[in-house]
Amino acid sequence: MAESDALVDDLFRREAGKISAWLARLLGPSRLDLIEDAVQDAFGVALARWPEDGVPERPAAWLAVAARNRALDRLKREARSAPFDEAAVWRLGFADPEATGRLYDTLALMFVACHPALAPDEQTMLTLKTVCGFGVKEIARAYLATPEAVTQRLVRAKRKIGELGLRFEIPEGAALGERLPGLIAAIYLLFNGGYTAGEGEALIAAELCAEALRLATLLTEHRATATGEAQALAALIAFHHARAGARTGAAGEMLLLSEQDRSKWDRALIARGFAHLAAAMSAETLSPLHLEAAIAAAHAAAPAFDATDWPTVAHYYRLLEEMKPTPVVRLNAAIAAAYADGPAVGLARLDALADAGKLARYALYHAARGALLLRLDRRMEAAEAIDRALACPLNAPERAHLERRRRDCRE
Amino acid sequence: MPSFLLLLHQNIDRPKPSSPDEYMAITKTYMAWTDRIRREGHHQGGQKLTDDAGKVLRNSGGRVSITDGPYAESKEVLGGYYLITARDYEEACKVAATSPHLGYGGRIEVRQIHEL
Repeated sequence: MAESDALVDDLFRREAGKISAWLARLLGPSRLDLIEDAVQDAFGVALARWPEDGVPERPAAWLAVAARNRALDRLKREARSAPFDEAAVWRLGFADPEATGRLYDTLALMFVACHPALAPDEQTMLTLKTVCGFGVKEIARAYLATPEAVTQRLVRAKRKIGELGLRFEIPEGAALGERLPGLIAAIYLLFNGGYTAGEGEALIAAELCAEALRLATLLTEHRATATGEAQALAALIAFHHARAGARTGAAGEMLLLSEQDRSKWDRALIARGFAHLAAAMSAETLSPLHLEAAIAAAHAAAPAFDATDWPTVAHYYRLLEEMKPTPVVRLNAAIAAAYADGPAVGLARLDALADAGKLARYALYHAARGALLLRLDRRMEAAEAIDRALACPLNAPERAHLERRRRDCRE
Repeated sequence: MPSFLLLLHQNIDRPKPSSPDEYMAITKTYMAWTDRIRREGHHQGGQKLTDDAGKVLRNSGGRVSITDGPYAESKEVLGGYYLITARDYEEACKVAATSPHLGYGGRIEVRQIHEL
């Protein structure tokens, strides 16, 4: 009889996604609701049995059987008011509970959850719920929303999926080309949400990043979905996530790239990033993701901040700016130019962006101006810029960082 | 050594765990507790009961009547039981007091098993 020590904390979460994908193949993606309930019930059965019986020898298969049986119960109960779905009952009955966790099924479930009929945040929420096994409360924390609001969005998203009558598959041919960018965009959004999570949510942020990395990696493991963009996405997230442990200081304050202890970077993850980047570069396309990954790679390759290859970084940013001239990309391009060509050049480019989009309400814009003004020894103006940054919405570590910067202006 | 029955009552309206992680955390605490009382030699057995009222049988006028259990009207159900070994009520209560069941808002009734 196995003891509780043998249990890994994320066992249920991991298995939830795998069993959901397995059941979605058997029952069809229009039954996501029933599937979720059955999976949840299975954990209830584990809670009831495991303390007395011990952890079963093959917990994953055990949970799959429990979920399958609960799904059957629910189908039979439904049959009182609706036509009995005999085919589904047969499929469930003959399904092999050792066959959960197939890559194809997980990817097919991702294509369901990221269907373009859903709004982008509905896609990421539904992915977190069904593919990643997150709870409503955890999703709510990640999106700074109430659990009720998240529940509502999930209900709506699942209803839409039900109405679409989708097949459970990885799209093929032209359909794959249409759908894959949406899937990549959803994972990017998941990663970005994790990377810049709200106040005091460093833990959930790291988990979102880890999930995004896991999903992007899955894309690169299947022949149909391992495109250059998918590889670039996996590389980008790996490089960023490799720094997770170095991003906050002892007091939880945010540390800039220049302040991070690079010995805390996850070297194995960086190596994985480079492997994905190499695969991305051997593809025939060059996407913004390729450039973002290449920039992240340049930082990951630098042994120290002062050793960063800034001309290369600035070059990639210029290319990225041409492909994707968003205010944030232009801001970062200006900052890279400041390191490559000096603070005066960077400042001129930042000032030229003053009216671009919503940058004036973006803390990083003012913080970057403040930093360059400080380097040019224009302390009064630097202090003003940092005050403007402090007036923008910030999370706690960012605020702490800027307040330290503000004190530098007086020295 | 005397045996004691721990009857674990719980509120049927208690919030259910809302995520796999929550289920995992609760499962782990119950398992750790059961492992511990097993190691300490108290544990004899136990089961979780289904969350329903159950049935009650009575003989009324020579006929057996079957009705819904005593919990049908109440917010509480008997959620499960443990059978443990302890020297006396004091020790049995000491064991029961460490059960995670109390932390999740449940109530534990301790009854000694009659011996020869």
